[in-house]
Amino acid sequence: MLKTIREVLRTGNATVQYPFAPVKRPEYARGKPDHDSEKCLACSACAVACPPNSIQTVVDITAGKTTWSINYGRCIYCGRCQEVCPTGAIKLSPEFELAVMNKSDLEETCVYSLASCSECGEFFAPAKAVDYAARILSRSRGDDEHMRRAIELISVCMNCKQKHDAYRYWEKSKQAGELLC
Amino acid sequence: MKTNNDIASRIGESHVTAARERFGSAILKVHWGSKDQVVFDVAADKAPEVVEFLYYGRGGWLSVVVGNDERSLNASYAIYYVLSMEAEDPCFCTVRVTTPADSCEFYSVSSKVPAVIWGEREVQDMFGLRAIGITDNRNLVLPDDWPQGVYPLRKDAMDYRFRPAPTTDVENYEFLSETGDKETTVIPMGPLHITSDEPGHFRLFVDGEDIIDADYRMFYVHRGMEKCAESRMNYDTVPFLAERICGICGFAHSVAYVETIESAQNIEVPARAQYIRAIILETERLHSHLLNLGLVCHFSGFDTGFHHMFRVREKSMNLAEMLTGARKTYGLNLIGGVRRDILGEQKIVTLKYLEELRGDVKNLADALLSTPNFIDRAAGVGVLDRKTARDYSPVGPTVRGSGYARDSRWCHPYDAYKTLNRKPITQDSCDVKGRTLVRVAEFFDSLSIISELLENAPGGPILNDSWSIEPHRYAVANTEAPRGEDLHWSMIGNNQKCYRWRAKASTYSNWPALRYMLRGNTISDAAMIVGSIDPCYSCTERVAVIDVKKQKQQVLSRRQLENYCVDRRHSPLES
Ligand code: SF4
Ligand code: SF4
Repeated sequence: MLKTIREVLRTGNATVQYPFAPVKRPEYARGKPDHDSEKCLACSACAVACPPNSIQTVVDITAGKTTWSINYGRCIYCGRCQEVCPTGAIKLSPEFELAVMNKSDLEETCVYSLASCSECGEFFAPAKAVDYAARILSRSRGDDEHMRRAIELISVCMNCKQKHDAYRYWEKSKQAGELLC
Repeated sequence: MKTNNDIASRIGESHVTAARERFGSAILKVHWGSKDQVVFDVAADKAPEVVEFLYYGRGGWLSVVVGNDERSLNASYAIYYVLSMEAEDPCFCTVRVTTPADSCEFYSVSSKVPAVIWGEREVQDMFGLRAIGITDNRNLVLPDDWPQGVYPLRKDAMDYRFRPAPTTDVENYEFLSETGDKETTVIPMGPLHITSDEPGHFRLFVDGEDIIDADYRMFYVHRGMEKCAESRMNYDTVPFLAERICGICGFAHSVAYVETIESAQNIEVPARAQYIRAIILETERLHSHLLNLGLVCHFSGFDTGFHHMFRVREKSMNLAEMLTGARKTYGLNLIGGVRRDILGEQKIVTLKYLEELRGDVKNLADALLSTPNFIDRAAGVGVLDRKTARDYSPVGPTVRGSGYARDSRWCHPYDAYKTLNRKPITQDSCDVKGRTLVRVAEFFDSLSIISELLENAPGGPILNDSWSIEPHRYAVANTEAPRGEDLHWSMIGNNQKCYRWRAKASTYSNWPALRYMLRGNTISDAAMIVGSIDPCYSCTERVAVIDVKKQKQQVLSRRQLENYCVDRRHSPLES
């Protein structure tokens, strides 16, 4: 008994004043993901990785827009988004006080525009992501045929690329005299 | 090509030989799902005997019963009885029986091996199969007002978001009582109040203050996680869902899940990742055992101890937060490894934490164990006799308190446990005291395991992400959560989905035996006994006490029962 009382006196008060005084979470704690809309390319890698679909992207092909959104109410602070983001546009912060009076305040959205195909004019991919890919490609040293074509066709949509490929194949085969039909 | 059938690496051959000798052609086919996992395809009518033979004859314990709707694969349903072989030649033996999609019947094993009863009841509920000769035919998981003919886990049954309208207002669940020649009436109880963490519905059948028998019902908040994982998640995001099965031992579940895939698909996990997993699993045990020890203090009237256990427990939570970035739901596992390394400076801080915890808990445990009240309240109370324990396959400190050396970490070592040389910690007294002493000893054991692993952890990568999968391979994986063995079974299908995922939490194995632990004790011990299997103690929320002599029913609130357990004065029945 005496021992217990001594222990009580030794340890003193263990509780903290929170929420009347702030508590600081350590740097490495996983909390609210912060999204930097400038850095973001709207590439959707995070949306694919996010286990509870807290991040979603909705593409409106006729309007040429893609809407990136995050719902903090669904977020489980796993950090998968941060892991897959190519530009570091989304990062977990230690912030944990996310209660809001209005549920819709838990959602944040950003709208990005899509690039249109230089051949057919259809919208096909987020403009920033296309730019980003072009920059990466132009920096690459490799000067092979493959790379050159990739740079050439950077602003061409999937369908038109396929047409190009088919045409090229036909040309090549013709030269080689292989075309049977 | 992945093949697990090369002879040199097979474990469990002796069980196959023995079973073949005994049952001959009733063993239709045998194959190895992974190195130490044998699957016996067995003729349906012989399944009960084969399971019985492996269970009692070859040192098997039941881990889980899995139902699977395999109509799209082979036009039948399959039932897998997964047995953990713990005597000679330790391995997992799975007995697989199929039932044609039109008859939906299989022979129940429950009269031969009582441990399968919850599993078979669940298969009946979830797949609409009928177990012929089952010893308890009541619903287990499905509520009374569930529509007939909707079997949630059948592939064509329903969308995972479907919430059928209730079909009846009548509670038709029959609570069982074996009260000898005393007639009892089962009286319907009021609605449930889910005011606490975990709802469960208990009925104690008493004679005065003595508990003659008890029955209870769970699954009021069944979350349909398996269905959700199979339809809504991709197989690689399921670890994050698995982690949410339990608020205390979630990490054990997420490890168990990823290891089913790693084992079925032969995915190698880097050594360092295996060490990190084991370190975090032990950290989880630290805070879980402190929670239970705190509650034991509380139930035995030593509330100062309770507060101090929780004060100290905070250190283990901080430790977890430092190592993983969160107090709970660590989000650390991916198939093939882990996502966060333990850095040099974190190692130093961890060792410091461990030292502090060792000192603090030693003082507190000494204080608890020397409280005369504790010995008084715990010795000889809630006895789980050895035979009941053998019949029902309980797990964790619950079974180890009855003298069985069942600890998944050492019976079927996984991750870095393979490198350690330790033995399960047991006690022979079979009572609440035994189970508490096991937990105290395991706490200190965990501290030394963590230091040992930290010292020995090799360097190198922590994640292997170059692997491919082959659909429809399945495997089980075990982890020893603080409450006992967690066992997961999974089969990947097409389209990045889990075809079937079965997660068995440790307490699932302990509930069926609780009834026998309650018998012969007094009501004032009930909360203590339930607490000693370490479910959330709030499972005693709403206890109906039925006096078998006076044919009278009275409903006690959790608070009343708990207070009576703490101070043992003013019986709530005397009013
Ligand atoms: S932290 Fe996890 S849950 Fe939250 S947005 Fe990122 S990926 Fe999604
Ligand atoms: S992964 Fe990064 S760049 Fe891509 S959409 Fe998400 S936040 Fe933006």
